[in-house]
Amino acid sequence: MVEQALLWVSVLPALAALWIGGGRLFGWLDGEKSERHTAWVASLATGLALLLMLFVDLQVLLQGEVPGSIRLATWMESVGFRVLISVTADRLSLSFATLSALLGWLTVRFSIHYLHREVGFHRFFALLSLFIAALLHFVLAGNAVMAFLGWELMGLTSYLLIGYALHRVQAGESATRVIMTNRVGDAGFTVAILLGFAWLGGVEWTELLATSTLLNSWQLGILTAGFLLAAQVKSAQFPFVAWIGRALEGPTPSSAIFYGALMIHAGVYLLLRLEDLLRQSPFLMTVLIILGTLTVLYGVLVGLVQTDVKSGLICATQTQVGLMFLACGLGWFEWAAWHMAAHAGWRAYQWLSAPSYMHLIHAPTPASWRGLHRFPALYTAALARFWLDPLTDQLLLRPTRALATDLQSLEDRLLNPGMGSGPLDQAVLTLPLAAAHGTGGEGQGLPTRCLVVLADWAQWLEARILSVGGEGMVRTVDELGVYLARIDQLFSEPRYLVLMIILTFVAIL
Amino acid sequence: MEAMATDMASFPLLSVLIGLPFAAAVFLWLLPATQARAVALLASSAELAIALWVAWHFDPSRNGFQWVEKADWLPSVNVHYLLGVDGLSLLFLPFSALLFLVLLLSSRPALLPRLYFALLLSLQGMTIGIFTALDLVLFFLFWELTLLPIYFLVSIWGIGPQRRFAATQYTLWMLFGGALILFGFVVVAGMQGQSALAALPLHERLTFALPALLSVPLPVEWQLPAFLLLVTGFALKTPVVPFHVWLPVMAMEGPVAVVAMMTGLKLGAYGMIRFALPLAPQAAMEWSWLLASFGVIGIFYGGLMALNQSNLRRLLAYSSISHVGMVLLGISTMTVQGIQGAVLQLINFTVVSSGLFLLAGYLHRRTDSCEWRHLGGVVQTMPQATVFFFFFGVAGLGMPLTSGFPAEQLMLLGTISLHKGAALAAVGGQILAAGYFLLFYRRAFLGPVTQRAVREAADLQRSELYALLALAIPVLLFGLFPGWLLQLTQVPAIHWLSHMGREF
Repeated sequence: MVEQALLWVSVLPALAALWIGGGRLFGWLDGEKSERHTAWVASLATGLALLLMLFVDLQVLLQGEVPGSIRLATWMESVGFRVLISVTADRLSLSFATLSALLGWLTVRFSIHYLHREVGFHRFFALLSLFIAALLHFVLAGNAVMAFLGWELMGLTSYLLIGYALHRVQAGESATRVIMTNRVGDAGFTVAILLGFAWLGGVEWTELLATSTLLNSWQLGILTAGFLLAAQVKSAQFPFVAWIGRALEGPTPSSAIFYGALMIHAGVYLLLRLEDLLRQSPFLMTVLIILGTLTVLYGVLVGLVQTDVKSGLICATQTQVGLMFLACGLGWFEWAAWHMAAHAGWRAYQWLSAPSYMHLIHAPTPASWRGLHRFPALYTAALARFWLDPLTDQLLLRPTRALATDLQSLEDRLLNPGMGSGPLDQAVLTLPLAAAHGTGGEGQGLPTRCLVVLADWAQWLEARILSVGGEGMVRTVDELGVYLARIDQLFSEPRYLVLMIILTFVAIL
Repeated sequence: MEAMATDMASFPLLSVLIGLPFAAAVFLWLLPATQARAVALLASSAELAIALWVAWHFDPSRNGFQWVEKADWLPSVNVHYLLGVDGLSLLFLPFSALLFLVLLLSSRPALLPRLYFALLLSLQGMTIGIFTALDLVLFFLFWELTLLPIYFLVSIWGIGPQRRFAATQYTLWMLFGGALILFGFVVVAGMQGQSALAALPLHERLTFALPALLSVPLPVEWQLPAFLLLVTGFALKTPVVPFHVWLPVMAMEGPVAVVAMMTGLKLGAYGMIRFALPLAPQAAMEWSWLLASFGVIGIFYGGLMALNQSNLRRLLAYSSISHVGMVLLGISTMTVQGIQGAVLQLINFTVVSSGLFLLAGYLHRRTDSCEWRHLGGVVQTMPQATVFFFFFGVAGLGMPLTSGFPAEQLMLLGTISLHKGAALAAVGGQILAAGYFLLFYRRAFLGPVTQRAVREAADLQRSELYALLALAIPVLLFGLFPGWLLQLTQVPAIHWLSHMGREF
């Protein structure tokens, strides 16, 4: 009974999302007259999820013991590889899931009025329901793969809600940037899952924690570091602090539930889940302390110079979550759990009432704290959010783009002619490099090329015999020199150096 | 393979699968041109029904080929008409039937409709032939025959100004690749019986039947040449990175149906799993690192090149090159998960990749361009198309609850148990994949509407909607319940590997 209920907790909101999304797509829900229908479906599903959670809690309280990990079915199975559909019902998951269901339901109720007559009303409720399903699925998951399902869906709904204002360029850009940062964390999660299968043979939370003692400290560190990376990114901890500022593009209720109350705590929840794993690795605990402290500093300093409600709140939220990471690093997991629950509840209230602050204060927004003015450098740094975004651009995005451009010119100038590919439409070539040099564009294959080279060579020989001068030779050497210089120049770019180092690492591993 | 268990079919259902499209292709000439599409759709639906029937009555617990049909063809050189499917090839039948049905559904050629549908139908017959042929000569026949309809489809109904060139180039490349495969097959077939008495008549020295070839391994000294010939030949078709230059050209010039079929059905990768590797097992084991390296290079090369593209068609071509690098990596791991993941990903391609190409075609039909500069804000006038585009896109990224997820996870799992570095690189490639897809999505589909063509574009028509739904349903279905696919491919994958000399 309890296990069935726990399964339906996340399935119900997902079904609601499917119904509303399908309705919007195929036209049975459209416009203002269907708002009531959509609102009713979304609140019914999330309300039922909340009731189911309360029912489970009551059962557990009456029985006086937590069921722990419950295995329901096999999802995927192959040789040496098995993913179960399982749920975790312990004190941590039950309490956080109940809280999430409650806050989710409240946000749904709140949004019905907040988004009345908005263009994307139905879309918003489909995504919100999907998010609540994903979060509950993540919290109640019995193994890492199930948790990853929820984790990814949370990221996806977050992306779609940040880009809620479809016509705004800024919204789309922010959303893309946020999900790309999140993909880094997802990669960490994926690697941790894969290593869990490769080294421990399974990723059930209970098994993972129980068998982790078999690993040597090195393996344990890498495995945990994967999860840690994921937690850091999702909870916007240092150095992935910058994305969350951009994530506020979405409607306020979604900001409240994603970045104020619930999703930002997903990373903390993951750390709490992996408490036993973390405790075995003093090094990673130290890393947690450092990162938590840095995030707290970042949050406080940047928060001081913000002049709008949402940005100020997000910095405060980030600071508190940083404190939770710090607490985990110090080994106070119990304390972090209480902090998380209290913080989620309080922040949800604060975020949802944020739009009314303007009406409540009746005064201009106070300027930033004057004390900071005495340190102009710090002030500037805080105002620029410590230049973390441009730094990422410089260190990661630009070299990647440049590498891609180099590959394009390689293909256009070497591979295509060499392999006998034809004249390309010049409009297609977006690259200045390729356009500047022209591609010859005769569409020769390798044999033709050889013939041409041979003919050229014969002609050159002839010219050399006829005329005594050695100009041809000089020219050839010159051309060769230009080529070599270009190659040399390319390889002295830092991106190739980094690429070489990465390649070496990949080969060694 | 030792004592390959074969089940002879009581009714030649596979032959029907191959023959039905050909018959329809002939039959539609008897009717007026306006009914060609209806006939084609009818035949293709029947084809899908039969393929589903075959899949449904397939026994996944048993080893070896099922629905086997055998008849003499050229007895003087020991060539047979030999068909059959096993768990690795079975799924390609319903999925390619579905793909062709959808392609037919969404094509409305104004020019020579009867010829168009006849060519597409015969291409379908040949494709099914490729997936079911177990005799090397028969396989090769179907393999080379596909060039004919593709050549005409591209050069007559292509959309780009250089379609003739694209068609010629493709045909030349494939003829070259075909020659390599043919040499490989000749080495395999001829050298197998070499150990036997040379005085025997020709038909007893040559073996072309795959089950027979698998039961007696090729002499070790002949494995490497055979392996290299076959792998290179199939790599040209797949395409694997240095040989990929024809694909972007084709994507720009060819008609949507052909390009969707080319990127959807990775016949080259199938050829590697079915023929190239098992026919030369020792060489394949020894040289698997070569495949893995080309796989990793492909992942990054395709991904980075896709970042550059401003045209959706070219972007999809490069993304397909990147994905197939992952498949190659999965195959090269020689683990159960790697093989299963590779097969699942190939299945996943048929729906995801072709869905995206169909959408590119729909966009092109409305706005006359697939350049993001000519699009922008598509979501506002074509919300349904945008939803499908996003859905197929994230399925290609391996998002959980789509069929891409189990495929990616299995391949990565196979890779990490063998080579940590390659797995890390592949995970990095996933980030890159999200980058190029979401970047294009943002530029072309989000933001304000700036172009008149986009503002006036109508959303999906009913037939287009059905076509995309038909492709989306399996993605979601197998994303939610991947267990059945794994169960189906497990026994043949284990068997495949034990044949390669791996023990469990």
